[in-house]
Amino acid sequence: MSRAVATSLPPVSVLGIGALTPLGRDIGEIARRVGSPVQYEAEDRRQTVPADRRHGLEARATSEQLPSTPTLAKRLRRADHFVRMAVMAATDAAQQARQTCAGVPSEQIGLIVTSGLGPHCRGFRFLDGLLDCGDTAASPTDFSHSVHGAAAAYITELLELRGPSISTTDFEAGFESGVLLAQCWLAENACQRVLVGAVEELGDVLLHCASRLRNDSEQAVAGEGAVFLMLGPRDMTGTAHLDASAPRLKLENPAVESQFGRSASLSAFALLAALLAPRDIDTAAKSLSIEITHACP
Amino acid sequence: MISSTVWIAGIGAVSAAGDNIRSTLDAFASGRRNPIDALPFQSTVACPTFQVSADLPTLPDRFNSSRTLRLAMHAASEALANAGLEGVGPPMRVGVCLGTTVACQLNSVEFYDSYRRGAEPNLDPVRNYLQTNLAAAVAKLLDARGPRMTVVNACSSGTDAIGTAATWIRAGLCDIAIAGGADELHRVPLAGFWSLGVMSAQPCAPFDRDRSGLNLGEGAGIVVLESDAHARARGRKNGFAVAGFGMACDGHHLTAPHPEGRGLHSAIRTALDQAGIAPPQIAFINAHGTATLDNDKAEGKVLGHIFGGDVKFLSTKGYTGHTLGAAGGLEAVFTLLGLHEGWVPPSAGFENPADDIPVSPLHSAAAVSGQFALSTSLAFGGNNAALIIGRHD
Repeated sequence: MSRAVATSLPPVSVLGIGALTPLGRDIGEIARRVGSPVQYEAEDRRQTVPADRRHGLEARATSEQLPSTPTLAKRLRRADHFVRMAVMAATDAAQQARQTCAGVPSEQIGLIVTSGLGPHCRGFRFLDGLLDCGDTAASPTDFSHSVHGAAAAYITELLELRGPSISTTDFEAGFESGVLLAQCWLAENACQRVLVGAVEELGDVLLHCASRLRNDSEQAVAGEGAVFLMLGPRDMTGTAHLDASAPRLKLENPAVESQFGRSASLSAFALLAALLAPRDIDTAAKSLSIEITHACP
Repeated sequence: MISSTVWIAGIGAVSAAGDNIRSTLDAFASGRRNPIDALPFQSTVACPTFQVSADLPTLPDRFNSSRTLRLAMHAASEALANAGLEGVGPPMRVGVCLGTTVACQLNSVEFYDSYRRGAEPNLDPVRNYLQTNLAAAVAKLLDARGPRMTVVNACSSGTDAIGTAATWIRAGLCDIAIAGGADELHRVPLAGFWSLGVMSAQPCAPFDRDRSGLNLGEGAGIVVLESDAHARARGRKNGFAVAGFGMACDGHHLTAPHPEGRGLHSAIRTALDQAGIAPPQIAFINAHGTATLDNDKAEGKVLGHIFGGDVKFLSTKGYTGHTLGAAGGLEAVFTLLGLHEGWVPPSAGFENPADDIPVSPLHSAAAVSGQFALSTSLAFGGNNAALIIGRHD
């Protein structure tokens, strides 16, 4: 459920979009596939997960192809899937917005990273070390990467951002809250641009839990991925204007869920669909408490 | 541009230093600190910690499973009473913005151990985790229906939450905001910080020559923020306010601060600019001061550079331990108390100046006078935050 707040904050412009989703990383390809039926299977996991631990369908995103240079590969050598997804989507959004960000000081670019579950796979890996080696011999690398802010740390370092940075967690409306905070920052000139995004990852443990917690009759597809937007003030020319401050009812959207998979950040994927596929904007936008205006393909 | 004053209408605190504001001040006045060697859970890590002894409220249903949430509600109750607010439900427009580290992770070792063994573990820890997102749970318990956010910026979370809530109020998103941070002592971060080699086997000694690392603690520090219009309608004419806030990242390293404190420097400058004041107008600083080699060195450099060699500052972690997500909330409360009381306690644990730090904290209790004070926070991920609290007479 959305939490309606009434205010008069100005909308913000979408200057860049980056995404790593089960439908791919290429924005054009994602746009073409949005709205088309997608069949997900759990084939890759059937090789690694015991039969009695298999569960529902999964919409997975691939993050292996990221390092494009030896330097980047070295800087990401300890990064896990969660961090890599975030870095890829954030980098793409920044790249798409590079012209409109030219000349903006690094101290004037803010970052907001939202997630429901955060890097929980790395957290469980840290627990593996704790259980296998004892409390005094667990991995410091796993611990430092298990905190929610790990993705933001990588993004700020790689993109050389020096402005405000905040990571948040919420299981219902984290992404909307992130966009709302971006509106606040831009409205009071705390920064000139805000890179705001959502990241979720799939992991065996919580997939196991989800299969036991949900109704057996449900055929939900569990999803993962990352969506980032570079936002600027309303008076800039962008793909669309967003307003998360307008009271708005958020509806269930099975179509978006079937394409990107269910996650705590479904709103971010719904917004992505609405931005990339204007023909489906009405459908996707209904699942958002963010108002989208002036969208143009 | 600040559109209007954001008042601090109420404060609440619970930590090893005290169950509430009154007992915390008593501890500060006596210089008493109480690190405990015995842990409240099983672990092979041997080090002192700072534990809360207060009787925490019993919460309904699954909410009671989270000690962090109970700590937060304990401090929030005191803050709301201090603000003269009996409730914050509709039609009041109330936001909740809280920082934490422990409450944002499913870190039940017993649950995960059972899962690893191939069993079908009891899912109660998962259900509890999903229902105790800190800001969401506090909002539900208080029937607060404005914006909400759980900030997970590691050790600066509490400060960042207060700054964010002040932003909401200035933007007109809510009239009241419950902000700060809470964290419980937990086996997993204890093992994590041990693995990083930043914990001390002795009671911590922030900014000291012989500092050898941090001690973990637990607690909650909550402030009730209020818009100027709402406060005036309730008759407020003077008191304390959020005068300035700055947040900036180092973009340097996942766990270590920038050696010159680049982000902290920027955050403090932003906060000073927002407050419209110069460094000499800061009466004292409640520093982050974890007692790790890197933090205190970088932070000391920045404080010396901006405020000069005679800067009056302290770390209160010698009384509370490092309470992680709660630290910023607690230290904002302590900063306000210093301005209110006109004195600050000695920086507990400090004995000898350090060669690698250009400034030294207070060795004994000191009188403070002035209109403004600063609280700083540094965190994993290179986050830095600076909060300036001002007195409006």
